[in-house]
Amino acid sequence: MLRQPLSADIRLKRRKRLDRAFHCLMLISASLVVIFLLLILGIILGKSLPALKISMITRTPGTGYYLGQEGGILNAIVGSMEITTGATLLALIIALPGVIFLNTYLKKKSAWAELIRLMLDILWGIPSIVYGAFGFLLMLTLHLRASLLAGMVTLALVELPILARSVDETMRLVPSELKEAAFSLGASRWQTATRVVLRQVFPGLITAILIALGRGLGDAASVLFTAGYTDRLTTSLLQPVATLPLAIFFQLNSPFPEVQQRAFASAAILTLMILAISLAARFLGRHLGRHRIK
Amino acid sequence: MVDHGRISLKGVNVFYGKNQVLKDISLNIPAHSITVIIGPSGCGKTTLLKCFNRLLDEVEEARVEGEILFDGQNIYAPEVDVTQVRKRMGLLSQKPQVLPMSIYENVAFGPRIHGLQNKKKIDHVVEKYLRLAGLWDEVKARLSEPASRLSIGQQQRLCLARGLAVEPEILLCDEPTSALDPQSSRNVEAQLLRLKENYTIVLVTHILRQARRLADYVAFLYLGELIEFGPASEVLTSPQDPRTRAYITGEIS
Repeated sequence: MLRQPLSADIRLKRRKRLDRAFHCLMLISASLVVIFLLLILGIILGKSLPALKISMITRTPGTGYYLGQEGGILNAIVGSMEITTGATLLALIIALPGVIFLNTYLKKKSAWAELIRLMLDILWGIPSIVYGAFGFLLMLTLHLRASLLAGMVTLALVELPILARSVDETMRLVPSELKEAAFSLGASRWQTATRVVLRQVFPGLITAILIALGRGLGDAASVLFTAGYTDRLTTSLLQPVATLPLAIFFQLNSPFPEVQQRAFASAAILTLMILAISLAARFLGRHLGRHRIK
Repeated sequence: MVDHGRISLKGVNVFYGKNQVLKDISLNIPAHSITVIIGPSGCGKTTLLKCFNRLLDEVEEARVEGEILFDGQNIYAPEVDVTQVRKRMGLLSQKPQVLPMSIYENVAFGPRIHGLQNKKKIDHVVEKYLRLAGLWDEVKARLSEPASRLSIGQQQRLCLARGLAVEPEILLCDEPTSALDPQSSRNVEAQLLRLKENYTIVLVTHILRQARRLADYVAFLYLGELIEFGPASEVLTSPQDPRTRAYITGEIS
């Protein structure tokens, strides 16, 4: 009779101790995430500060740029935007009809749908250097040279599974009652998909596009062999194109400290671009859903 | 039994996989009246309703046998266009499911997908059916607001207006008041009683009092079988089958 409350008391104390310990652990891991992010941003910005001049983003490399002379990386900024926008559009054009098909034309437990999802997941897991090698082979077979077009197609392949699965996940959350409501008004599958389902997932779609855009912007391995590099602005699909990750890579390889600083400045610019896209994704995701059914 | 119906079922069987949920249902549903389907939960009421507008087509492993004649035409015949069948039958579901668009667009959706483009005509249609559903006065000042901001009772009447706007001949109602408060329920019931002048209404409910208030005809389903069908006054007051009697007196539920 007497031991019972005592042991309960001890158990309670032990539970509280455990709770406190885990609380600390979670606090530490959460702070580590913040610390890493600030550290990366801080170091990159600090290292790049001497090189961060307005000419970095307004000029292309001049003569002797890689030896420390005047110039900027406008070629890589514009090139990265060109190749990523093109690749994302291309991936979207391929992914969207496929995902709509999975979610409104096939039935929910369709074996086909599961197989396609499995394949997309596998594609997602393939490292982008493999896509780069594949794109390179494709290029050789088609007798193409390293160009904006070849890089765009390869990058689109990298982005495709990311885009498709992200949109797919948001579409799967659309309640079947919503589709039934449209069906029962006599809407065809196509009308249901484009006028009801797409509207419902619109914020998720925008977020998925921006995530794919961010991923494409930072990917170096897929464009290494396929996009080439150039110091000039790219004005044609068949010209080689400069990209920011490769700009960082080449400049960091330089023995000149001024050029290395510029590599960090390029990294800072790339990071800021991706940061802007992530923030835009958050903002748009929150504000586009006016009509969404919760 | 009343014959000469707009919808008649002949030997309808429904299976989910190997599981038979509706057994040999034959039934004539009279036009311009309210036919109420009652029965304990899981007896196949909703399944029966979903047979009518072929929503079962969307359900995995669901299989329908037999014939459902609508004005003499079998709606399960291979040459029948399912969207045309559904256009002729409005559905009011248990939980109102508004579309992710404005109040106005919700009502305009049906007419638009069936080809109406003239803005003035659509305006007219939207107002007409919002009035018919008894919602116009409450929403006329905020037609462009998201439909999801309406109260749940208003949403159900919006769904009614939306369904009516495709000009169906039949209204299928699946426990349309089960998610609503008493005031909104009365409101929806009042609309249904007014609408039966021009529409054939099939209503599924598990509320016997609601059946008494609304029904012209009553069908009692039990374990997937049609036990009894007839005028409401007969079925609800002097049922022939002991199972119907047991359900109505509350012995089985």
